[in-house]
Amino acid sequence: VGLFVRMAKYYDIDDILAEDELVPAIFKVAANEVGLIDSSDDTNKVESGSKVELPFWLASELHLRQAVSVGFPRCFNKRTQEEIKADAAHVDLRNRCPYFYELGCKIVLLTGDKSIGPVLLVAFMTRYKEVLIKAHTTSLTVAPKSLTLLTNEEAKLYEAARSSTAAMKKWRMGGPRLQKASVLGRKRKPVE
Amino acid sequence: MAGQSDPSGSTFTAAELEFLAEDETVEIVPNMRMDTLDFICGQYEKLTQVLEAERDSLDLFQPLPFHYVEISRLLFDHARDDIPDVYLVRSLIEDIKDVRFHKIGTGMEKLAGRASAIVLKHISAMEVNIVRPFTARALETFYKLDSPEMLPDSERGAVKHSQVADHGQRRPLRPNR
Repeated sequence: VGLFVRMAKYYDIDDILAEDELVPAIFKVAANEVGLIDSSDDTNKVESGSKVELPFWLASELHLRQAVSVGFPRCFNKRTQEEIKADAAHVDLRNRCPYFYELGCKIVLLTGDKSIGPVLLVAFMTRYKEVLIKAHTTSLTVAPKSLTLLTNEEAKLYEAARSSTAAMKKWRMGGPRLQKASVLGRKRKPVE
Repeated sequence: MAGQSDPSGSTFTAAELEFLAEDETVEIVPNMRMDTLDFICGQYEKLTQVLEAERDSLDLFQPLPFHYVEISRLLFDHARDDIPDVYLVRSLIEDIKDVRFHKIGTGMEKLAGRASAIVLKHISAMEVNIVRPFTARALETFYKLDSPEMLPDSERGAVKHSQVADHGQRRPLRPNR
């Protein structure tokens, strides 16, 4: 089952993009021929102990091979945590990281460091209520400014609620119940 | 048909629900004799009761025909003249719908977290269809964030909402994609 779930995520565009986010990593070994990662000097290698930023997909592979240790990027720092505790609904999480929840979960699962777990949960619990209210009540044409604060996951939630409510309203207003399929519209040339 | 390819997660479109609703049997009274009473005539007293009951009970839904939204719309569209006091009936049904939707909304606000499955007794087909994409996604995210792999042991009891009923053991999700 675990393999099936992993395979399902392999092609999931959101998963791919989430793993493209950068995370801080400290090299535990020296690595040759990868000077691209750490361009602080001219040598084409990375020294053990160097601090770099890597996309998560790379960092996690290296972590599993025990070549680096992975940390939490800035978007999860103390300041953000304080802001979430104070007023989670109005924190601009999209700006911090559009894949806030997804990335946070992945890092926790990779490193076993659960310290930000409660922060993620509290943030979502609060913000989910906001999305719930706004998606089902505001008029169809006005998009509230708070949409720009939403992470990818929250925006999808909002969209899900909106589209199903809009579809229902459209159905309710009526309209032709039988519609001619568009492929039937054009006359076909008789085959000679 | 039922859109498996629909990324937003709505299993049926409203039109498809309406189509399914048409399978429900409705009493048809032939118009041969003008003094025959149409069955809906008896309904509006019942509807008033239903409306009051919906308003009175904050947590429960009244049992209604599963497809009441679709059926009522179809009847209004096609059989308007056969319904006595059609405006009254229509406004009663609208009110019932509004009260129920509001109830769904407040219920969902309360559940935030600590639930990976919810039970809504007597909810109707159209109502379910509307909340399904949102609720399914939200519950899935709660499930992921609220798992023992994510939370340090000391925190698991601390973040609590007292009124959420126990919905049973946490069970592993089967992937459905």
